[in-house]
Amino acid sequence: MNKTKITQEVEAIFRKVFDDDKLVINMTMTANDVDNWDSLTHMLLIVEVENTFNIKFKLRDLNKMKNVGDMIDLLVLKIG
Amino acid sequence: MQKNKEKLEQIIFNDYILKPFINQVHKDLNAFCINEEFFKYIELGKATSKIRDSLQKQSFVSKNIGLVVNDDLETYASIFAIWLEGLAYVPLHPLQPIERNIEIISQAEVGLILDSSFDNKYEKFRKINTNELLFTKFNLEINKIEDSELAYILFTSGSTGKPKGVSITRENVGAFMKSFFEIGFDITEKDRCLQPFDLTFDVSVQSYLVPLTKGACTYTIPHNQIKFSYVYGLLDDHKITFGAMAPSMLRYLKPYFDEIEIPSMRYNILTAEASPVELVDEWIKCVPNARLFNFYGPTEATIYCTYYEIDRKIENKSLNGMYSIGKAMKGLESVILFDGAITKKPGIKGELCIAGNQVTPGYWKNESKNKDSFIIKKINHNELRFYRTGDSCYFDQDGDILLFGRIDHQVKIQGYRIELGEIEYKVRDYLNGVNAIAIAFTNKNGNTELALFIESSEVSSDDVKNYLATKLPLYMIPSKLYFLKEFPLNTSGKINRLELKSLIK
Repeated sequence: MNKTKITQEVEAIFRKVFDDDKLVINMTMTANDVDNWDSLTHMLLIVEVENTFNIKFKLRDLNKMKNVGDMIDLLVLKIG
Repeated sequence: MQKNKEKLEQIIFNDYILKPFINQVHKDLNAFCINEEFFKYIELGKATSKIRDSLQKQSFVSKNIGLVVNDDLETYASIFAIWLEGLAYVPLHPLQPIERNIEIISQAEVGLILDSSFDNKYEKFRKINTNELLFTKFNLEINKIEDSELAYILFTSGSTGKPKGVSITRENVGAFMKSFFEIGFDITEKDRCLQPFDLTFDVSVQSYLVPLTKGACTYTIPHNQIKFSYVYGLLDDHKITFGAMAPSMLRYLKPYFDEIEIPSMRYNILTAEASPVELVDEWIKCVPNARLFNFYGPTEATIYCTYYEIDRKIENKSLNGMYSIGKAMKGLESVILFDGAITKKPGIKGELCIAGNQVTPGYWKNESKNKDSFIIKKINHNELRFYRTGDSCYFDQDGDILLFGRIDHQVKIQGYRIELGEIEYKVRDYLNGVNAIAIAFTNKNGNTELALFIESSEVSSDDVKNYLATKLPLYMIPSKLYFLKEFPLNTSGKINRLELKSLIK
């Protein structure tokens, strides 16, 4: 799967988790930029991404993810 | 006069907090790691001095100072500057609705705000921008200030729809620090200590005072970070040696327990909510060298008032899957209130009550609440003033306390105490007085969430949530909403909360 496709899938997951059909993600986006992005929704987001791409993140990976771009890059690395 | 002099010479707040802190300032040691940046004690001392300088230029009508609690050096320095001047801080969380903070400012009669932010949220108020101040000279002399003066006022959720302020004196905090260290925590300049709590929550006070009075380094969590993964990063990268954590944080980390190994941890405190045996027994393997403690305490009795050390080698005491909260800390008296009388007899279930010099003088200007929450009772011929915790407990044969839960409808979410009545009040206010019931439930991950039941035809859930978000902090916004034409009632004609709870999917 290429980066564009991965980004589209991730955007769909964000829209579902944050219950916002118009949410547009970008690479520098952080928890600061999205309403309700806290530990609880972050966990839901991670589980949804893991299920969609059939992968499992390490806690170390989660800790290194500072923004949406980091998450996409990691996904590219794992399944790209 | 002589008596008064003796009293001044034994100032518990100065002896256990200000003197030990000031003693660290000129040592070449790290005081903080904030957002991956280290700050030395001398920088904290300089920031404290410049803020104190600017406070000394002010005239005060009210001794209560609003403090916007950002995650930065100026905010922590402000606390010490406020204390050196004999004033009290009232934390204002930058991520809470401004309306709630303004309510707090007005209730606490705050006349001045210290703010390190780069925005103009509080421009209508008298304010000092602490990030614009310049250091000129050290100004860290300790004055003789009575221990009866306030150190901070923390606002907690109140059932009348308005937050209520818990006033904590210098004596309360000093007594806490004294008894905390008497348990035997040996913290030195070599320790690296975790501070994962918002400054609006009182466990934060333990989390910064323990390191800062011993010359150790304090590691904080930036507001824009996902707490559980950032905390793991700190534990692992910086080899944290001491830290208090809430069990809800462990629940988030649970799927990754097999990856976590923190041999550096020497003392690990679990607090802020009941500690589930199953979860803690798994976690204990991640911190193989740590002594583990379960600490309990309402804000009204200053941070913690009872504790239980969890022994790795034996089966520990628990009730309904939750660890015992152990015995009262030194200097505190704990009793069970049952049928109007107090007792320490084992096996009698009733309301846990706490007396001693950690107990608040009362809620800030709230006489009716003070009448309900404190009682005077005789024990061993001494009259003591007890705080009624609202927690249902009993003593076992060894005098250890086992906890059932809340007597009333207060619940805890992410460590925050919430009166469900406050949420219901705001919903009724918004929807012209319709019946509303908030219920706490345990989700699939084992964490507490809130459901809201509204007795009306369906309106937009988003509108209700958005409205609440302007009135209440995020942790008080229910995650699930249900609209019912009519609420089920029980035989005594009251709304049947149990039946409502069974509808939560």
